[in-house]
Amino acid sequence: MNNELPATDPRVKLLAAKIKKENFKPDALIEILHSAQNSYGYLPMNVLAYIAKALHLPPSRIYSTVTFYHFFSLKSKGEHTCLVCTGTACYVKGAQAILNELEKKTGLKAGQVSADNKLGVQVARCIGACGLAPVVVLDDEVQAKVTTDEIINKIIDKIGTK
Amino acid sequence: MNTIDIKINERSLKVLPGITILQACRDNGIDILTMCHLKGLSDVGACRLCLVEIEGINKLLSACTTRVASNMVIRTDTEKIKRYQRITTELFFAERNHVCSVCVANGNCELQELGYKVGMDHIRYPFLFPECKVDTSHQYFVMDHNRCIMCTRCVRACSEVEGAFNWDVKNRGFQVRVISDFDTPWGESITCTSCGKCLQACPTGALWSKDVVQGQLEKHPEMITELVEKRKLLLT
Repeated sequence: MNNELPATDPRVKLLAAKIKKENFKPDALIEILHSAQNSYGYLPMNVLAYIAKALHLPPSRIYSTVTFYHFFSLKSKGEHTCLVCTGTACYVKGAQAILNELEKKTGLKAGQVSADNKLGVQVARCIGACGLAPVVVLDDEVQAKVTTDEIINKIIDKIGTK
Repeated sequence: MNTIDIKINERSLKVLPGITILQACRDNGIDILTMCHLKGLSDVGACRLCLVEIEGINKLLSACTTRVASNMVIRTDTEKIKRYQRITTELFFAERNHVCSVCVANGNCELQELGYKVGMDHIRYPFLFPECKVDTSHQYFVMDHNRCIMCTRCVRACSEVEGAFNWDVKNRGFQVRVISDFDTPWGESITCTSCGKCLQACPTGALWSKDVVQGQLEKHPEMITELVEKRKLLLT
């Protein structure tokens, strides 16, 4: 496995700066993982190995931290993400129908990413915006009181085809 | 030396302040069932077998992580506790695949002994039997996740005694598994020193050495306790 991260990658520079800012302290692991996930979109294995080496932390501890918190992801969530809220309020307002339609149109099940890594479909229990139900979050942008067609059109705008 | 007065099962005892209830019981010959406790390693209160009743507290507390306080009135043998121990034991057997007759640790297993002790004759819960891997990639040892009860004694022995930190736990809830490094096969671990302490710490047939045959496994968890005791000699 090639563990070396390319030093010219701006994301690596950002990560190195963050680690330096935290003074190479092992207790700053979660903050550093946050920063890495923000720039990569997920946590690739070689990034975890890089962090382990820099902080002198055992790989097993880093892996256990990453898998404990749902926020961290080891797999790419896709370039664009579409998160359907299936909390109680959204469910009552028809979130399941939106999700079903979306899954049918994209051919992706919740939690999956398209083969070209362009789109990822996810579900969340409740994002705390029940007054806006049904809610879909497209690339961190909350879409309020959506209909299926609206969402599909917005996705097509973002990724071009399909 | 300062001592404090406590009462365990109606017996008045004088014990040192700061020790755990479990230690106070064991020092005075009172039996408490445990699974995740191993003398010398830190206590995590994971197995919930050492639950005790304390007067004035309306929930059960684990004896291994609760420290004695003066005038504490503790009961370890009530019907409620026995019922809970039985439930806990059955749940251990109901989760993963614990079929003793085909296990290397048969006849030498703390989980099996626990079943006898609490008088478990059947299991009232549906068996879950998740699909678990058997990791045979290590040169000398095998990790069979089907037999693992997540006591994390191997994790603590590896980090606290050997200092290798090869083991840890991934995920949470029902999905938890013991992992080596980045969930890599044990044989490819870059931290494992092949010392075998995890094998000795393991109470079941989850960790074993390739040179034993079925039913011939012998475990010596007291070795870990001894090691911790002997390490103290270095400091004096």
